[in-house]
Amino acid sequence: MAEQKTLGERLAEHGVSRRAFVKYASWLGSLMALPPATSRAMAAELAKAKRQSVIWLSFQECTGCTESITRSKGPTLEDLIFDFISLDYHHTLQAASGEAIEAARHAAMAENKGKYVVVVDGSVPMKDGGIYSTTAGHSNYDTLMETVKDAFAVIAVGTCATYGGIPKANPNPTGAVSIGDLVKDKPVINIPGCPPIPEAMTGTVAYLLSFGKVPELDHLGRPKAFFGENIHDRCYRRPFYERGQFAHAFDDQGARDGWCLYELGCKGPVTYNACATMKWNGGVSFPIQSGHGCLGCSEPDFWDKGGFYVPLSASIGPTAKLVGGAALAGAVAGVAAAAVARHRKSSLNKG
Amino acid sequence: MNADCGHPAPAASLADAVFAELAHALARLAETGEETVVDLRSLPFGPADLEALAEKLGTGEVTVTLAVAGRSEVRETGWAGIWWVRHFGDGEDVVAEEVQVTRIPEILVSHPDDVAFAARRMADAVVTTGPQEPTAADEEDMSRG
Amino acid sequence: MDLLDFARGPAINVAMVVLVFGTLWRLLAILFLGKPADRTVPRLGTPGPVGAALREIFRRMVPHPTFAFAERFSFFNGWVFHIGLAIVVFGFRPHVLFIKNLTGLSWPTLPSGVVYVVGAITLVSLVAALVRRLTNPVQRFISGVGDYFAWFVTVFPVITGLVAVGHVGARYETLLAIHILSVALLFVWLPFGKLFHAFLVFVSRGTTGAFLARRGV
Repeated sequence: MAEQKTLGERLAEHGVSRRAFVKYASWLGSLMALPPATSRAMAAELAKAKRQSVIWLSFQECTGCTESITRSKGPTLEDLIFDFISLDYHHTLQAASGEAIEAARHAAMAENKGKYVVVVDGSVPMKDGGIYSTTAGHSNYDTLMETVKDAFAVIAVGTCATYGGIPKANPNPTGAVSIGDLVKDKPVINIPGCPPIPEAMTGTVAYLLSFGKVPELDHLGRPKAFFGENIHDRCYRRPFYERGQFAHAFDDQGARDGWCLYELGCKGPVTYNACATMKWNGGVSFPIQSGHGCLGCSEPDFWDKGGFYVPLSASIGPTAKLVGGAALAGAVAGVAAAAVARHRKSSLNKG
Repeated sequence: MNADCGHPAPAASLADAVFAELAHALARLAETGEETVVDLRSLPFGPADLEALAEKLGTGEVTVTLAVAGRSEVRETGWAGIWWVRHFGDGEDVVAEEVQVTRIPEILVSHPDDVAFAARRMADAVVTTGPQEPTAADEEDMSRG
Repeated sequence: MDLLDFARGPAINVAMVVLVFGTLWRLLAILFLGKPADRTVPRLGTPGPVGAALREIFRRMVPHPTFAFAERFSFFNGWVFHIGLAIVVFGFRPHVLFIKNLTGLSWPTLPSGVVYVVGAITLVSLVAALVRRLTNPVQRFISGVGDYFAWFVTVFPVITGLVAVGHVGARYETLLAIHILSVALLFVWLPFGKLFHAFLVFVSRGTTGAFLARRGV
């Protein structure tokens, strides 16, 4: 619910000084590569900001994005975000249920009209009137449109909300679409990933809170601060790629020696995310470091790109079958053409 | 992991470049009072580069440990006005590391609003329970402090 | 479907179909054409057809001494870009992976950095070949649209490949898609233009060698 106290006052009541904002801003500014002056401004603005009302809508999703954002280990820096926001509606985390929680959503919308942020995970089914996913008797589409009407901004988290994700994978039985496909009159920030890196989600919220504006986005609506570089360019295995040292199988000597996973289908060169730099679980590791190629989960339709283990340079689709058919047809055509030519020549000779 | 770690020559030159930049920044601080922050994470620094820079900067008289949303460490280098700031997250992970060219890093200064708030609470404490007793707010510290 | 999906999917698949169909069609049509039976008896000491064919194939790899000086540019430059192309195509891991994915065949490859350098040399060599074609009056006179188009579809994949590995001008996925599309264009054109010499060069030289060596009575 809305509060009149600033975040600085709130934290002070809990015995936390405004130094926490300075530290938080240093950390986030470093992650987002903000100029130092901007980081300082962020610390000041955050301390003065009011707690941000956030309404979190869950549609066709697996709750992995929520798992990711709550995956902090203790009362440290990353969790400060949960002091900065008021999570007024969230299916998995809310204590209340039924009519009470729907009433809470409406109350938050009315109280913070034009100021609240809507976070969405999951795609929206549009086929057959959207009956494939409903809450409180309303289709996801109706809930989304009602909720975003008075929002300040919408943050789509996870590849399902940002690009349709796995529900949209072929043959897309529910007619799933992304949030950006539906919400056209509000800023939509996409934080894709399956799940997204927690810092990318919280960092974007903190940026919105501090500066009251949307961070710079790329052509797919992703904050450039987190999705500006591809995995391959920042991958610690990159030197092996340049040296032509590739693991040929998951259990060969190359794989054990940490060689490049390109041949095993790594999609790092065409995937834009911060995994290689920020890493996961507080900087412990990321998929490539754990020995598996990048799946490209922060890119649209990553599920339908011809296979996770097909190298990027290989063709996709039934190429081998087509080529086999073409070879047969070509051979027949060639032999037939030769036969026709021979026949014509011999009949000419006779004639 | 990093193939470049083993080569001392480029490491030294990168640290030299940052050192030179810091020298300019310190001159600016002395002349105009303009402060500078260098985010060490934004530089293509390996552990060897950090070590080389730390060695060149040396250690001064002040080392402060803060307990603010995890641990932080502020150390004055051998050059007055150049401070090395390290922020830790949960445990020993360094989440942010910067060199600040300033008379005193912002994070050490008590914020005016914090001072005002403390002054109010302290006044209350004097009137009601006496100076020794901690307030409820302090108890509620949530292990941040 | 984005551009890269289109390039890796429909575009390269259609191009492969055209390449394989066109190549086999033209090659078999020529190979099975046969030649009129030569009823003469070869003279004593005449080399057999296989030996003669092989000798001709190797003999033509260097210019005749009479023209060695005049042809020195075409000779050296021709070898440079042909070997360069072979190294780039068969020595770069991602390229071999395309073949491996289709056929299961694989072989050791070169460090990517070496391939980049070879690719750059190949590009320079191809450009030199074009300059020569444009500036040499004789070559210019005998060159037609087919020659220039053959040059274009050869050099285009080299340029797009180098641009892709260098990340120049656009995002990598776009550059990679353009590179694959440029290769698709090469594949589609290869069986039908002068580039078909890739398959015919030794056939035609060998046939000529065998034919000319035979002395019948």
